[in-house]
Amino acid sequence: MSPPRLTGALRSFSTVSKQEDFTDQVYDLKSKRLKRQQLFSKDSLTWQKIVQFITQHLDKAEQEVATQDLKHVLLAAKQIVGAEQGQDTIESAAVFLFETFHNKDHVGHDETRAIKQMFGPFPSSAADHSCAAVSRAVASVGESLVEDFVRSQSSCRTPQRSTTFGRNITFSYECYALDPQEALPWAESSEKETSGGGLDF
Amino acid sequence: MIPLDEQQVTEANGPLGKERTLPALHPDRKEERCFVPYKPPSEDSSPAEVEEFLEHGLFITEDLDWLLNLPHDKFWCQVVFDESLQKCLDSYLIHAPRGLDPSYLPSSPAVADMQRSIHRAVFMTFLRMATHKESKESFITPSVFGEIIYNNFLFDIPKILDLCVLFGKGNSQLLHKMIENIFTQQPCYYGDLDEAVPSILQVLDTILAKCGLQCEGATAFEPLKLSSHGRPSAMTMSQQELVDLVLYLCDSCSTIHAFLDIFPAACSTFHSHRFLNRLVSFYEMAVPDLEKAVRKRNFDDKSLQEDLWRRVCHTRRRMVESAHLVLQHTCLQPILEGSENTPTFVEELLQHFTTFLPEKRFLADYDEQFPVADDVSLLQQAFPLIDETRTTYLLQGVADAWDSVGRRRPQCRPQHAHSPG
Repeated sequence: MSPPRLTGALRSFSTVSKQEDFTDQVYDLKSKRLKRQQLFSKDSLTWQKIVQFITQHLDKAEQEVATQDLKHVLLAAKQIVGAEQGQDTIESAAVFLFETFHNKDHVGHDETRAIKQMFGPFPSSAADHSCAAVSRAVASVGESLVEDFVRSQSSCRTPQRSTTFGRNITFSYECYALDPQEALPWAESSEKETSGGGLDF
Repeated sequence: MIPLDEQQVTEANGPLGKERTLPALHPDRKEERCFVPYKPPSEDSSPAEVEEFLEHGLFITEDLDWLLNLPHDKFWCQVVFDESLQKCLDSYLIHAPRGLDPSYLPSSPAVADMQRSIHRAVFMTFLRMATHKESKESFITPSVFGEIIYNNFLFDIPKILDLCVLFGKGNSQLLHKMIENIFTQQPCYYGDLDEAVPSILQVLDTILAKCGLQCEGATAFEPLKLSSHGRPSAMTMSQQELVDLVLYLCDSCSTIHAFLDIFPAACSTFHSHRFLNRLVSFYEMAVPDLEKAVRKRNFDDKSLQEDLWRRVCHTRRRMVESAHLVLQHTCLQPILEGSENTPTFVEELLQHFTTFLPEKRFLADYDEQFPVADDVSLLQQAFPLIDETRTTYLLQGVADAWDSVGRRRPQCRPQHAHSPG
């Protein structure tokens, strides 16, 4: 809990700020994750595009194996988002898993956090299986080809730092802090009783 | 070039997928992003709580980075029409840990890193919101900008105070420009400040009342009842009440000082509410009482006692500095700038110092930090017609104040230059 603040009193007792409307929706982590999933599913990279890309770069014999791997990814996606979800949601989750693992050989801390961030708590075996399946599929096509493909498809989502407001502005993280003890004036004399105040009831 | 508020755009996302033309600033152009509110990391977080903080933090930084990356028109649509964004920003201003908070230090490097990322992103968002002209092509008509920020409460007085105390230490110049632009483009903020100052002063009265130094409804002319039993005081209130009181006072005085320091134009509004008199009499009444309570009460936790003592000392200093800022910007600076009303300002300054004479504790502390003799000397140079008997009386009063509080003036005095601006 925040300590008592002047601005808290001002918000409560003055008329110069907007009165809080408690009926307004406040988004929690669960609804935020759903929104992120929706936004992600609008992305230009789709499951169909991934399947098409993988199969068109492989001969028939390799295609069958890769198709199985991609099915494993879909299955893992289903486990992560829940079997009750529709096909679109599952495919969108599979795209996310493919993007997350296309250049990874194991499920690290960052990947775990990214998946949890998107879908909430999930079975770790699903992440392991999808990672392994994506790795196999990528290896059969070639890492650099897949990298270029993913980058070209998701470039519209990645913010361009060169246009971000404030990128050239020097920002200081310095904060106001309590005055250092030794620099305090009056410290010595404060030990004595003040004689002039007359307020020692 | 056409300002954003006059631009029209044609988009192909009408009800039936048809093209339609609408104002560039229109709620339909806002994106459903669902900004989450900020929740501060708790002092002794469990690993799960840390994880939740980091997840929240990542959502916030990701969304604010997205926002800052939007083109000018889209940014303003989001800012004006997305309630969740405003709630997110408000929650940061209200709950973000401050350097003065007792539990300021983050619990882990990951939490500290995340906190820094959010801190910067929030500041940049407010900075962009305070900028009506980003480039030759991207701008809003200044008067319309003033209406937008005011009518939508993008900025209000508590938010401006929060911005000062959260970001002012290392970004005072940027903040000064931001706040100056806000007040220039929307003078209604001066009116709001005028309305807010009595509430700010009320905080001082509340603290006095809690210390039993001013009964509710009592005026300065009404004597306090000697027989009133059970009256609260800093010595008798519960330890937690004392801690809360000191924290509240420390925050209040630090916030007022940060604001006046960053935006000195506000000094005249404070001045018009007799801020100096109220502050000085508050100082004289409350400081000795709080000091005594912190020194004499029995604390099991000595580190808490030391922390409270530091806070009381810190608060004293901010009060003295705030008083000096108001005097400097309302009286001294016009005199040094050679204002045509110099005699009036000189008279006002002398009046203030004269009013301080009975407030001996404050006067001695003020004189230690900002020697009154230096100001008198400046006055004599700027206005040779000054009544010498009066200045001599004043300086004698300052010397008496030192004697009254049983302290000796330091031999080596700090030098404070009074430079305009």
